[in-house]
Amino acid sequence: MKMNRKKAVGVLITLLSIVLGVVWLTPLIWLVGTALTETSFHMTFLPTTPFTLDNIKYVWNAVPFGQYYLNTIILVVGTFCIQFVTSTLAAYSLAFYKFKGQALVFIVIFMQIIIPNDVLIIPNFMTLSELGLYDTKLGVMLPFLGSAMAIFLLRQHFKTVPKALGEAAMIDGANLWQTIWRVYMPCAKPAYMSFAVISVSYHWNNYLWPLIVTKSPTNRTLTVGLAIFAKSKEANMQWSNVCAATLIIIAPLLLAFFILQRQFMDSFVSAGVKE
Amino acid sequence: MKKLVGTLLALVMVLSLMTAVAEPLQLTMYFPVNVGGSAAALIDAMTQDFNAENPDIHVDAVYTGNYDDTVTAIQSAIQGGNAPDLFVSLATQRFTMADTKMAMPLDDLIAADPEGQTFIDDFIDGFMLDSYVDGSIYSIPFQRSTMVMYYNKDAFREVGLDPDAPPTTWDELVEYGLKLTNENRKGVGLALNSGSAQWAFTGFSLQNCTNGVGLMSADGKQIYFNTPENVEALQFWLDLQNKYEIMNKGIVQWTDLPTQFLAGEVAMIYHTTGNLTNIKNNATFDFGVCFLPAGRQWGAPTGGGNFYITNGISEERQQAAWKFIKFCCSTERAAQWSIDTGYVATRESCYETELLKNYYASFPQALVAYEQLQYAQPELTTYSAAEMWRILNDNIQAAVTGEMTAEEALEAAQEQGEELLADYQ
Repeated sequence: MKMNRKKAVGVLITLLSIVLGVVWLTPLIWLVGTALTETSFHMTFLPTTPFTLDNIKYVWNAVPFGQYYLNTIILVVGTFCIQFVTSTLAAYSLAFYKFKGQALVFIVIFMQIIIPNDVLIIPNFMTLSELGLYDTKLGVMLPFLGSAMAIFLLRQHFKTVPKALGEAAMIDGANLWQTIWRVYMPCAKPAYMSFAVISVSYHWNNYLWPLIVTKSPTNRTLTVGLAIFAKSKEANMQWSNVCAATLIIIAPLLLAFFILQRQFMDSFVSAGVKE
Repeated sequence: MKKLVGTLLALVMVLSLMTAVAEPLQLTMYFPVNVGGSAAALIDAMTQDFNAENPDIHVDAVYTGNYDDTVTAIQSAIQGGNAPDLFVSLATQRFTMADTKMAMPLDDLIAADPEGQTFIDDFIDGFMLDSYVDGSIYSIPFQRSTMVMYYNKDAFREVGLDPDAPPTTWDELVEYGLKLTNENRKGVGLALNSGSAQWAFTGFSLQNCTNGVGLMSADGKQIYFNTPENVEALQFWLDLQNKYEIMNKGIVQWTDLPTQFLAGEVAMIYHTTGNLTNIKNNATFDFGVCFLPAGRQWGAPTGGGNFYITNGISEERQQAAWKFIKFCCSTERAAQWSIDTGYVATRESCYETELLKNYYASFPQALVAYEQLQYAQPELTTYSAAEMWRILNDNIQAAVTGEMTAEEALEAAQEQGEELLADYQ
């Protein structure tokens, strides 16, 4: 009896996850299907027209996607690397040092989480202009070089590491940096992993800020290229082009997700982060 | 030797001075793209032509997303001290642009230009109407559109209607719509999503009004949403859906409506002229373009974007920006722009060019929009235009989804709109 019940619950959970999986996959299947087949004006879930790469070719040539790819990768990788360093150091000091004004520092960092980025567009723009960083990659990255979320996440993780581990390293002659590098960072690997996912996907998809602070194609990002197709509202929506451009943009993230699926899941479970 | 060096030095100095003089004046223009991928390339090409013709000026055209994104970009840039010199924005933004001092009045530039007045007079009246704020010209018509009706001639034949006699009145619209509606097809299509409902409603309001004034006063300070005629117009929409059942229920998206038309699911749709090229290229059936059916009279809304010059730039820059605007709106350019994009050519003289004459000869459907312009008026334009649009759209949608009656919805819109405009009285 008990066994059966357990089994039934198991089946139910499996069924439910299949349903959820299908729901999650639906838009993706439609997107890929629409992007890779000839334009049709009958909206159908599964494509009814023959396979073609013309949509992709057209979109790729209409917008300098190659350049935009490079820019986006530089911005995303650059931002994450610097966040990695700044957040680690900030998290370590907040976790283990006591200093004057600590509460104030905490509040200031916390405010960054509360205030949505879009509200800060104009003040940030003014600062950048004064620094002469308008239309530069550094300018696009600058407001994001410290991340409150990463700091809190890492601080919590560092605190769970047994103090004895750090002390043992010190006794063995490790200096501060070595202790962080060899003891604390490996222990907080899931936290780094989940933060990487959040940071990379946020900056990969960010649209309004890079649009506004850049003007030359050498500094613009993939999302600006997509907008040319997706935001043209005066005619009709050319779904095949929109889907083709979207596919071009999401392909690397999608690929990374399929390859690193397990690691992502593990890290989210153990870091307990929700986006 | 010394002399030679001296001469050389002098030469170098003169040369460097010359290049300093020849350094072109750098102008920046922000522009939105609303008709798909190719328009951005067309604007780039136009800018390059201008720069080649005018070595002393270099215009840098910057794509800034859709109309809303562009306004955000301009605001940030102006406050951040990196203002563009000129920009393209909705004609309906002009009260806001003037009120916030983002754009400058162009009257002095026009007066100082010997060709200025002739240039302005050549613009089609229906488009020039929404360039004025308190009697001053603030913007120049550029990417302008109007609403027309597209109808499926094959479907007309199928149900025994004359394919060359599209509906001319609301009554005929209903009559034809009833005939055209069957299991797989609706007779009439209107997009009622936010940002589209207020545009179509301007047209219906103009068709039904008795005083020639549809939704608002020309100075942008008064609104007339709750007149009996406007209530009647909104009720007519609801009847199309609920009483006659010849229009899809609920809210159809603007961008999906042409797709439904091309798929043969809707026989007559209200849509922008900007969609003409797309429908021409993709329709697998015989289609026609006609005036919006009249209520008490003919009427149609205009829409689209105009050129503005940023407030507070140097006089030299103003002159250069003005020169660029005149270049883009020159007769030949405006005619070509119309053919390439589907926007309506903005100047009377465009219609005398061989370019447009030949185009209309080969594609007479395109001429309908121009002929209808004599009955066209600007879409809903007031101070705080974006907020006013939201108010009218939200309330119309509440009526469409059945939460309010037509009268309640427009009363509510009137009340909220008046509150919004209270600051400007």
